[in-house]
Amino acid sequence: MVRGENLQRSRLTVFFRLFLAIPHLVWLALWGFAAFVVSFILWLAVLIEGKAPEILHDFVGGYVRYGTHVGAYVFLAANPYPGFRGKPGYPVDLEIDPPERQSRWTGFFRLFLALPAMLLATALGGGFSYGSPGGSWGSAGGDEYGAWWAASVAGGGATAAALLCWFYALARGRAPSGLRDLIAYALGYGAQTGGYLLLLTGRYPSSDPALAEPYAELPEHPVRIVVTDELERSRLTVLFRLLLAIPHFVWLALWSVAAFFAAIAAWFVALVTGLVPLSLHRFLAAYVRYATHVIAYVYAVGRKFPGFTGRAGSYGIDVEIDPPIRQSRWATLFRLFLAIPAFVVSGALDGVLLVVAFLGWWYALVRGRMPEGLRNLGAFGLRYTAQTYAYLFLLTDRYPHGAPVLEGRHEVEERLLAPVPRDAF
Amino acid sequence: MSAILLHPTAVPNDLSLTAVDADEIFGAELVAKAERYERFLYFDWALAQIALLATLVLYARRGAAFARESAAGPIGTGMLLGMLGLAIVWLVQLPFRLAAHWWDRRYGLTDLDYLTWVYDDWALLGAAFLSICIALLIVMGLARWLGERWWLPGVAVFVGIAALFTFVAPYLDFTTKRLADETLVAAAERYEQELGISDIPIRVEVVSEDTDQANAYAYGFGPSRRVVLWDTILEDPFSSGGQKVVLAHELAHHSEEHLPKGIGWFALFAVPGAWILMRATRGRGGMGAPQAVPVALLVVAAMQLAAAPAGNWVSRRMEAEADWKALQVTEDPSALEDVMVGLAETSLGDPDPPGWIQLLLGTHPSLADRVAMARAWKAQNGR
Repeated sequence: MVRGENLQRSRLTVFFRLFLAIPHLVWLALWGFAAFVVSFILWLAVLIEGKAPEILHDFVGGYVRYGTHVGAYVFLAANPYPGFRGKPGYPVDLEIDPPERQSRWTGFFRLFLALPAMLLATALGGGFSYGSPGGSWGSAGGDEYGAWWAASVAGGGATAAALLCWFYALARGRAPSGLRDLIAYALGYGAQTGGYLLLLTGRYPSSDPALAEPYAELPEHPVRIVVTDELERSRLTVLFRLLLAIPHFVWLALWSVAAFFAAIAAWFVALVTGLVPLSLHRFLAAYVRYATHVIAYVYAVGRKFPGFTGRAGSYGIDVEIDPPIRQSRWATLFRLFLAIPAFVVSGALDGVLLVVAFLGWWYALVRGRMPEGLRNLGAFGLRYTAQTYAYLFLLTDRYPHGAPVLEGRHEVEERLLAPVPRDAF
Repeated sequence: MSAILLHPTAVPNDLSLTAVDADEIFGAELVAKAERYERFLYFDWALAQIALLATLVLYARRGAAFARESAAGPIGTGMLLGMLGLAIVWLVQLPFRLAAHWWDRRYGLTDLDYLTWVYDDWALLGAAFLSICIALLIVMGLARWLGERWWLPGVAVFVGIAALFTFVAPYLDFTTKRLADETLVAAAERYEQELGISDIPIRVEVVSEDTDQANAYAYGFGPSRRVVLWDTILEDPFSSGGQKVVLAHELAHHSEEHLPKGIGWFALFAVPGAWILMRATRGRGGMGAPQAVPVALLVVAAMQLAAAPAGNWVSRRMEAEADWKALQVTEDPSALEDVMVGLAETSLGDPDPPGWIQLLLGTHPSLADRVAMARAWKAQNGR
């Protein structure tokens, strides 16, 4: 996945974006039909020769690339109207390697092997390459919150981000860089999944946010995730993970009641003085940290049984929160409303986290370890959720950042030199 | 204290029960079927107990290694070790429980499908996790605060919790409904008057969708006292007279204060139990240290098994007293006999189980003994 730097958006094309994309969606569907037929021949070729013929590979590769262009256009990750031939050079683009030798066994079972990746790509909402942009598996809740949550989860991460981008771009004439990067990442994962499903490659898709690091930047933020956790998992604790978390659920529920009143108190004080008192800040920061520890444990993102105090540095998936600083009273006054867009994205990422937990649970149960890519994707979801709650609870006035990376660019340059793990989802 | 708890029993001390012929009362075919049914369950239970103890012995030796899976403090780690111990026991005992469920289905005692059964069992494990966490929070908290002297206040806290739960439980019941049968309601009021109690709500629990087995129970104490009848006991083969005897039996539990007495007995067992626990875990740093939790699980399981004969003896004594009081207020020994036959038919309880089973599992007198009591009452009262 490569993407251009331009964030400018034409308000007119943004407003009519979905309608403007209709010819592309029709063409994508037709090309998709042809690509699926061709991929069947590819499948036979992989079974017989162990390698895809170049001409067929290019045809299917062109479809996957074109699907990514269209996805980027519809989801506002790019501004120019894409061409109909899927040629390289679009601002959000793919680089596809030439055909390589593939295992006949994994080729034979490709459709089944791709299912977990397709599930994750659907939750991320970037499945344009194989015809599933966003999921349809969210169920409507009985209350208003349930409906919001179901709507944001059902659409997938990219859809929720695109919806917010649409409003933002109409108002400001540009796309927010964090959400744009989130969409590009989701499309990239969807393209990898499409490439794997359609036999362009034998490499399993990697969900590691590290893949987004070459193009996505995480600005300095007062709320940061720190991942020092191991990947090994005890199968016994994985099997009973949900039940083992019961005491934490009880404690978290009790703490949430106290945090609710503390947040109200913090809001009043911040409205008057412009600053959250240190004691309240510490209490709410410990709550956000603790909730992150518990969710990380439940979703198998974290290995160990967390402590009950939310102490900084006590858990492998931790949250660093800076001390309180002066905040704008206006932003404080409307904090609840301002946090709504972040909660829409957070809700969609909740759906991604559920898929991460489901896939990670099975994988860890079988292999005794968590795939790094999946763990890091889960950590990203937790980081965004922690930033959202930190914003709501006035621990910071910095808005959550949607870029799907865990660390700032200067911290990751060395890591980029390392190869991507093969077992990553 | 035991003298106070034991002394007042309504069953005459000189009452001698004459052995009855189970085949004659229950029918030879039913007795044979019940014996076949129960025999499998006895062995299943015995094997499950052996597996339980073997697992806990192994866990006591190796379980502390799971502390590496915790980032929590000592009490949190202790909770994790406690829950993991229960999880392993649950896994090991699953085949035995599954076999028992298969057996129940085979004999038509339950219609519950396997998936629902496993889900229910899983949910019960969740409740067990929560209970052990609360118990460990109390014990480890006290042990870290008071050192080896934790056991005495620990017993007081647990007895207090047992009393609280017994008192509160009826108020947390939202599943039962009011008894609609006016004849039974009128009979209950009459029995209450004769037993010297009043205003005890009689509730009905609907279980007939899942099982044909019959049951009834009394719970709560003081103002929270209640009696619950399973709806299966309000149907055939139980006659109106039999239903009244069951009602009187449950009301007698309240009139004789069996639930508060049960809490007293729990306290009596808990004092030496807690002391033994303190001593047994000393080698692992005492109950304040998470490494002691696997040993504590083994000790508690062993003590429960060891105390079962005494606990069952107390329970049988209370049940016999309730039977006797029921006979006194209903004056209908043949109805009690009919109830026992009905219980044997619907629950396939062995009317005359082996002595070792009564010792280890018999919370009630055997069906044959209860019939013998009905006949003894009849002989004594000339009816």
